[in-house]
Amino acid sequence: MASHNGMVNPAIFEDLQTRVDEDTAVRDQLRDIIQNLEKQNRNVMFVLARAHSTPVSDLPNVLKSAEESIQKEVETIGKLSEAASKLPYYKFNNMWSRQIQDAAVAILFWAWLGGYQQDASGPKAGRLLTIEEVGAIMKIPVNLKDRDDFHLTLEEYLQALISLVEELARLARNAVTLGDYERPVLINQFIKDLHAGFQILNLKNDSLRRRSDGIKYRVKDVEDVVYDLSLRNLIPKKG
Amino acid sequence: MGEESQPQSASPFISMFEGFRKELDEHHDRRERIIKASRDITAASKKIIFSLQRVRKVGEKLPGFVLKTNTQYWEIIENQYKAISTDLQGLNAYRYGRNITGGNQEFMEALSFQHYLETQQLISFEESEKRIASMSGEAGPVMLSPEDYILGIFDMVGELMRFSITSIATNGKLPAGTSESQDRPSKKAKTEESGDQMEIDEQLPPQTPTQHRPRDVLSDLRELRLQLEMFEPPQGSNFSRDVDKKMDVMKQCVEKVETALYGLIVRGSERPKGWVPDMGDSRKGAEIESY
Repeated sequence: MASHNGMVNPAIFEDLQTRVDEDTAVRDQLRDIIQNLEKQNRNVMFVLARAHSTPVSDLPNVLKSAEESIQKEVETIGKLSEAASKLPYYKFNNMWSRQIQDAAVAILFWAWLGGYQQDASGPKAGRLLTIEEVGAIMKIPVNLKDRDDFHLTLEEYLQALISLVEELARLARNAVTLGDYERPVLINQFIKDLHAGFQILNLKNDSLRRRSDGIKYRVKDVEDVVYDLSLRNLIPKKG
Repeated sequence: MGEESQPQSASPFISMFEGFRKELDEHHDRRERIIKASRDITAASKKIIFSLQRVRKVGEKLPGFVLKTNTQYWEIIENQYKAISTDLQGLNAYRYGRNITGGNQEFMEALSFQHYLETQQLISFEESEKRIASMSGEAGPVMLSPEDYILGIFDMVGELMRFSITSIATNGKLPAGTSESQDRPSKKAKTEESGDQMEIDEQLPPQTPTQHRPRDVLSDLRELRLQLEMFEPPQGSNFSRDVDKKMDVMKQCVEKVETALYGLIVRGSERPKGWVPDMGDSRKGAEIESY
């Protein structure tokens, strides 16, 4: 406290102002990347939305085109990761959490439709990507505890799973419209399994809790579809 | 719960979700520990502030009875910081920043108020950081953010207001510095020196206007107000909203002291014993709550 006469050493506030201004500059930088990511997300979802109106036989084209869009998105995530890894993760992560969630939803949906595993007989639907697999596609680490780097958080993955359930509930009805009576049965089992998973979590009163409460209604929606089909003997016999 | 056998075929995702459950439970437990510590730190800080309001002088060592009373509360604060420092390391410092900020702010209020009473200076951010670090456990220091610091200082203005009003009501004058840091030890500090916004110039002819005259609390309050008004939080942030809210209260606090001093100058001689300045607001009694 050298050369000031009053109560406040002006250097105190000058220094704090500098710190705060630096944060603002960082935010401005990140914002560009995040906006780009958001745009690409919309592109991917635009492509994937065709799954609701495309028969399974034509799906590979949709999946291929979605994969290309996802690759572009992954490049942007790479840029974000590079910029953000220099910063304390949780100081800024609310800036991009939403966009990363949306990207995860697209990847999960794409993989469920069969984009992740394709063999000679075509895409195989019903695959749930683990958080590690989503991270591998995004080329970022997941669920970090011990180091402060950019990553996909568990909460983001869980939020994305809830969105996946919503998307699939919609797909169940649309599949019937396309004359596909197998898919609703597959979806029914899949989201029941996910629902069972969510039920063992002790969720607190947060957005995860509120959104996961909605899963049971989606389960019921799909059950209704399956019920309608089975009532009319439309469900194909297994084997 | 959760271990109940699933009807039909068990979900293939259960074991994965069991892992998630464990992690989420850890997260919630940690969060709750931090919130609890933050509350305890807040409560102890309030008690410290309460007994600091019994001090009547500025720029001197605290009276023994205040030190003695407050020792236990500083210990509580230290124990709380120690207990949660493991929970607030690395990645988690910012993850749970929102959960500890209440305690940090109240701690800043107590720390800066005490520091002011002792030295008549504003404690610096670095010193405050060091203070928390010294109380943290072996895991590492608990982080104090610039936001915590600034918001705590805003609240400290309220304490200085209360301190000034109490002094005006009981001693009939504003506390002013007497310490060697202000060059001239003078117990008889006259009430006002700047006089720029007050009508006291005529009544108190400037007596040797020299910067050696000890600063009083009002001039410090004005200086602090200027600094806080100059400070620019990032636009649109939560921090900026908090600052906006506290800014109004802070200005009112400074003005209350100015008004009280005005009343003292105008009606000072007629002041009966036990007279309390007319604050012209609804918070009657708040300023003398330390009795």
